[in-house]
Amino acid sequence: MNSLRFPAGLTIAGLLIYLMLIGPFTSFMKNKPLVEKLGYMPSVNVLRSLSGDQKELAGASLVMKVLMYFGGIVGKAQEGRVISEPPDLQGMSRLLHGAVKLDPYNIDAYYFAQSFLTWDARQFKVANALLDYGMKYRTWDWYLPFFAGFNSAYFLKDYAKASEYYKKAGELSGQDLHRSLAGRYMQEAGQTELAIAYLSAIEKGENNPAMKKNYQIRLYAFRELHRIELACDRFRNEQGIMPVSVAQLQQQGYLDPEPVDPYGGRFYIDSSGKVKTTSKFAFATKNK
Amino acid sequence: MITIIQITLKGIFRDRVFQGIMALAVLFLFIPSAASLSMRQVTELSITLSLSLISFILLLLAVFLGSTSLWKDMERRYTFSVLSLPVSRTSYLLGRFFGLALFLLMTSALLGTVAGLVIKVASGIYPPGRPIVWSYLLLAVIFATLKYILLVAAAMLLSTVSTSFFLPVFGTICTFLASGITQQVYEFVHSPASANTISPFLKTVATGVYYILPNLSGFDLKVNAIYSIPPSGYGLGLTLFYFISYTAMLLGGAALLFARREMK
Amino acid sequence: MLALDIQNLGKIFKGKKRQIVDALQGVSLTVPEGEVFGFLGPNGAGKSTTIKCLMGLIRPTTGSANIMGVAAGTEASKRHVGYLPENPAFYDYLSAEEYLSFVGRTFQMQESLLQRRREEALKLLELWDARKRPIRGYSKGMVQRVGLAQVLIHDPSVYILDEPMSGLDPIGRALVKEIILDLKKRGKCVFFSTHITDDVEKVCDRVGILLHGQLKLVERVDTIMTQGIVGYQIRIRNSDGKSVDHQVTKDMLDGFIAGQVASGNEVVLVEPRRKNLEDLFLALVHNGAGSSS
Repeated sequence: MNSLRFPAGLTIAGLLIYLMLIGPFTSFMKNKPLVEKLGYMPSVNVLRSLSGDQKELAGASLVMKVLMYFGGIVGKAQEGRVISEPPDLQGMSRLLHGAVKLDPYNIDAYYFAQSFLTWDARQFKVANALLDYGMKYRTWDWYLPFFAGFNSAYFLKDYAKASEYYKKAGELSGQDLHRSLAGRYMQEAGQTELAIAYLSAIEKGENNPAMKKNYQIRLYAFRELHRIELACDRFRNEQGIMPVSVAQLQQQGYLDPEPVDPYGGRFYIDSSGKVKTTSKFAFATKNK
Repeated sequence: MITIIQITLKGIFRDRVFQGIMALAVLFLFIPSAASLSMRQVTELSITLSLSLISFILLLLAVFLGSTSLWKDMERRYTFSVLSLPVSRTSYLLGRFFGLALFLLMTSALLGTVAGLVIKVASGIYPPGRPIVWSYLLLAVIFATLKYILLVAAAMLLSTVSTSFFLPVFGTICTFLASGITQQVYEFVHSPASANTISPFLKTVATGVYYILPNLSGFDLKVNAIYSIPPSGYGLGLTLFYFISYTAMLLGGAALLFARREMK
Repeated sequence: MLALDIQNLGKIFKGKKRQIVDALQGVSLTVPEGEVFGFLGPNGAGKSTTIKCLMGLIRPTTGSANIMGVAAGTEASKRHVGYLPENPAFYDYLSAEEYLSFVGRTFQMQESLLQRRREEALKLLELWDARKRPIRGYSKGMVQRVGLAQVLIHDPSVYILDEPMSGLDPIGRALVKEIILDLKKRGKCVFFSTHITDDVEKVCDRVGILLHGQLKLVERVDTIMTQGIVGYQIRIRNSDGKSVDHQVTKDMLDGFIAGQVASGNEVVLVEPRRKNLEDLFLALVHNGAGSSS
């Protein structure tokens, strides 16, 4: 029996130390800054060699990593906390570009990359270059030209290119909707409606809860914006002059209830009469 | 040889290898929920995960069964009793090989069926962007199995010359890793961009290594199965004959070396 | 026909660091059918090396061997042989019954015959109760008995047994001797190696003594027994009824008995005092050691 005393003691001591450590360790890991969590990615060439015949899995895991990271940020933003660090958009972009090098067919990567590269990072050209790369592989997929078309029309204002993309999307999907999209919303005035139509189409097809929430927030912001734009139009029609502020619209009963920017920004009317928001449809970050 | 195949299979089952596989196969149950994390390709991701899990299990089996099968018989002195029976060393070796190959086939048939069910479930949750082509999926599983059967032959070749457990196991793993990138290296070495940086000698060596090492990248049909891209029939035919010829070479070499091996 | 025909068999092992071990040198030996041959030698003399050459497990450096007229090591030659390796090991995940079936199938035995022989062998070697259990759980003696059973099952004409008695208790050893004598009765050739002289005396027709890879002596066991007589113990009862024992050398026997008879004493008992196989063996080993050093 004596001989068992030492191993038993060792086990119990180990267990005690483990129990003492597990709490602090878990909370340390949980509160680790998000940037750190995204981690380091080895060069794509090294990764390609290491992943052997599992390139699709490696690609999917990179996408998952970015998605989890982004899901964490959206979660924190919704809790009303301002994000302590700006999301590592560059890192996310790097990981997703790596993912499509490993598996050029992975739609998740394109889909997600074009979403944050445009709205959050404002890297429209990078986004469309990535989509062009994807179109070489996913030759059957109308989503990629559909995304690229929207980016060209809404962000880049390159309507010729946009209609080219929409034409392609229309051909691939067999739906006239996409073909007519580019033509319908070429004017500045239609931009908000274009965005709402585009976002609600995507939001409906979204499966991932974090991403769906993300789109719902953005859609909400655009609907609020649209409400102000309509109020503006009514004001101009009835009074013959442009309103100077959102507050003016509210005071005179054109806008009720008060519009709320879910990104925490403030809506305003700029000198040219365009309705804008200070948040630019992205969550504020401290460093900004 | 049939009797050797029989006892090889019996040995694998008695050693509870199958239970081990089943323990790993429990992971299949988590695939649908893991795949639902995907935004746009739930079904595609579930196919990726299923095929990767099958590959992983087959890789483990190929490396460990392939390299320990002969080694264990020599280490535990079974060879004295078995090779003195009227069984030629070649048919003993081939019996061992075909036993393992059969086991890999059985495993992948079973895991393939499970994977099919999992993918069916996942595609029910979220319909795929492109309809699943089940025959591509079947082809992907078959060619993955062939790939690992080839690896078994490589492991057996290594274990005929080795007196320890490490050379076959690590040699097989290295072969597997190298075989995945030889094509890339070959293409890089022969690309115009490398002409200035790579010496002609290195180029010759790399080309030589390319022809010696197995090139297993042709067996990878995962992309075709995941995204329903039709594989090239010509390529499949070539790969199949590549498998037959390369495995024959490995087994022939293994049989020659094994015949010369002394059972001290 | 010669059951075993070994001609000039030699084996050199090349070890690591270019070490060369001359394990076997020019061994020539023939064993006819129906003979029990004891292969005697100390540990490391080359007994197992010889046997492994016969079974094709290692390739001889020089010379050749035939079994029943067929070149040793070939599949055809192995059909004639039942081989028991030294300290045998068998697929331990199989039961004794399954292993015997496996052996029988490699000899392409008919299933009904196989079943009958399997039962006989298992019962003979007292493995019947354990036959369904995997060999993994067997004791050393039981594994040795499985080894004997797998030798007997296909009823070959030549039995090559490497240390068949090792690992067995006295009951098991007696059983093995009985089996060998029974095989001899049935006209089978048994070639077995041992380092125990007593085993050879009891069952062998001939004995070969191997030392340092060289065959030193091949002789009939009964010849050794007669040649080995070095003297006699003679009990004499003299006229007043008292018994006295005398030690007499071999060449003085006739004269001694004649003298006693002449003096009216009665010869009650004449018992040969012999130098046994063990003495011969030890003498050879010491000589060999002396000459080689």
